[in-house]
Amino acid sequence: MKLTKRTLLALLLGSCTFAGLSSARAEKPVKVAAAVYGLRSEFMKVWTDWLKEHPEVKNGGVKLTVFDGRYDPNVQNDQFDSIIVQQFDAIIFVPLDIEAGGRTVTKAISAGIPVIGANARANSKALTSYVGSNDNEGGAIEAQYIVDKLGGKGNVVILEGPIGQSGQVERLKGIMSVLDKHPDIKILERKTANWSRAEALALMENWLTAHPGKIQGVIGENDEMAIGAIQAIKAAGLNVKDFAIVGVDGVKDAIRAAKGGEMVSILQDAKAQAQGAMDIALRAVRGESYQPQSDIWKHYGDKLPWKDGIQKNYDVPWTIITEANADEVMKMVTNK
Amino acid sequence: MITNTSNVALTTPATGSESAPSLSRRQSTMTYVHQYGIIVAFFLLCVGLSLSSEYFLTPKNIINVLRQTSINGILAIGMTLVILARGIDLSVGSVLALSGIVAASLATGETPQPAWVAVTAGLGVGLACGLVNGLVISRLSVPPFVATLGMLSVARGLTYIYSEGMPIPDLSQSFLWLGQGRIWQIPVPVLFLAATFIIFWVVLNKTVFGRYIYAVGGNERSARTAGIGTKKVLVAVYGLAGMLAGLGGLILTARTTAGLPQAGQSYELDAIAAVVIGGTSLNGGVGTIRGTLFGALIIGVINNGLDLLGVSSFYQQVVKGCIIVCAVLLDPARRFRD
Repeated sequence: MKLTKRTLLALLLGSCTFAGLSSARAEKPVKVAAAVYGLRSEFMKVWTDWLKEHPEVKNGGVKLTVFDGRYDPNVQNDQFDSIIVQQFDAIIFVPLDIEAGGRTVTKAISAGIPVIGANARANSKALTSYVGSNDNEGGAIEAQYIVDKLGGKGNVVILEGPIGQSGQVERLKGIMSVLDKHPDIKILERKTANWSRAEALALMENWLTAHPGKIQGVIGENDEMAIGAIQAIKAAGLNVKDFAIVGVDGVKDAIRAAKGGEMVSILQDAKAQAQGAMDIALRAVRGESYQPQSDIWKHYGDKLPWKDGIQKNYDVPWTIITEANADEVMKMVTNK
Repeated sequence: MITNTSNVALTTPATGSESAPSLSRRQSTMTYVHQYGIIVAFFLLCVGLSLSSEYFLTPKNIINVLRQTSINGILAIGMTLVILARGIDLSVGSVLALSGIVAASLATGETPQPAWVAVTAGLGVGLACGLVNGLVISRLSVPPFVATLGMLSVARGLTYIYSEGMPIPDLSQSFLWLGQGRIWQIPVPVLFLAATFIIFWVVLNKTVFGRYIYAVGGNERSARTAGIGTKKVLVAVYGLAGMLAGLGGLILTARTTAGLPQAGQSYELDAIAAVVIGGTSLNGGVGTIRGTLFGALIIGVINNGLDLLGVSSFYQQVVKGCIIVCAVLLDPARRFRD
């Protein structure tokens, strides 16, 4: 009995050593941690799915671990500690809180781990690199669409994200930068609906009552709220096509609404952000010889140049989704 | 003294009583004042708002207020039963989301199930969650706060697992009717609220089961001594609250045209607020469903009114919080029990 146990142990140890040796012989997979602020929104869910679709993750060159920050900067902070302890090779970081995010980055960088910011910026110069879409620019594109659609004159309402979140702050700045130049566009109302379709629905119903026949344009700081506004307009028995409605993100429901001519959405390209960040992380780990593997660099070409993967900042362009290109965009965001 | 109070609770829900001694008459007078106080407060609020906004008292806006109150009103009616039985249900927001997602998954796709299948499934999921709450509380003696806090987390988790974190759009027209349809110009969600109110008003005031709920909340031990199957009553009460949360989930899903996994977060707090504003004692045994309806309407009117006036939502939260605390300060039952 004793003998068998010992034999078993020896066998086990032997096989471990053997496994260790054999994996050391092949190229060791790069351990990448993706610390994202929360997986409970459609956008972040899709975002991490694209990360998992990166060619290097699929062929085993990268061992990817996703950390769900559960919308709590404190949770993200703790997760960074455990990522550092586990000696990951690189971190892809999507912070919830701009300021709290900064400290976390410095901690990892001083432990010698490159940190690639993505999607939402952390307020830190220490970031190895940043890949994202400029929210300020996204807001400006939204507002410009409304201005053009209304011919530079009319009444609009703005549905805002949770006050103080970087998406809300930056998109609003972009929206206002355009509207300030057009004094004939009047902002009737501006209030938060916390990115929520249900909240935006009730808010828009009340606004339609408070300003009967006056609202001509709706600017949603995200798609969900713009869709809520569409439901409110329908519930009030009005014609959605009499309104100029715009949102940001390019979630599936919004692409469908765009196809029906009910709204216009501005696509924030989750695939380009996620896979771009992965390529830059791998460039930081493997060095100069690394060539980007994702097809997003080819897709955008000159609009998003690779530049050896060592730039501080990569701005993923926005794409306006209208009736004309809705089918094409839908294919792009669903095809894996 | 103690027996006296429990007697009051056993024989008199909130209305007057012939048999109870003077104490109960004083209490019932106070309750009476409090009940009408709520209605008076509601109408004063409406008068104030109609003076400040010309649109407040228009038929369209009244319909809006009712439609926006419907979901919270339905949740709050379920919550009233639970709180009357001296319990609390923190899980209604999560159960609402789970029911909504399950119903949406059946009502979507190329060949959606008929609406009644999705509706039955949604109500069934809510009922099942509620029954689990009731069984854990009554059979395993877990405090309601803890048991339903657990369900809050479990049901939300199941919602994300089932939906994989993604919304479920593309619902069939017949299902959408639940949230967007109208009968004689009245939106369907409002009719659901009205029906729920009438049914549960009858249950609480005209049935033996209703009396039992008051009795269990007033004094569980006396109720048991009096031969009431208190555990069965508790299981039924939580089951009904869960089913009403399921109904809320169906309406919300149809209204937003998609099953949304993050829907209903912190809805339990608005439901509890409506019950408390409506004069139901958190100590159980005292309260009415009519009070709850007005409590929900007050919350709906405040949200709507402050939107019409263009007041920041930050103030909205402050006002709502103050009203809840004031309502409890006015709670007559509090004086007798503390």
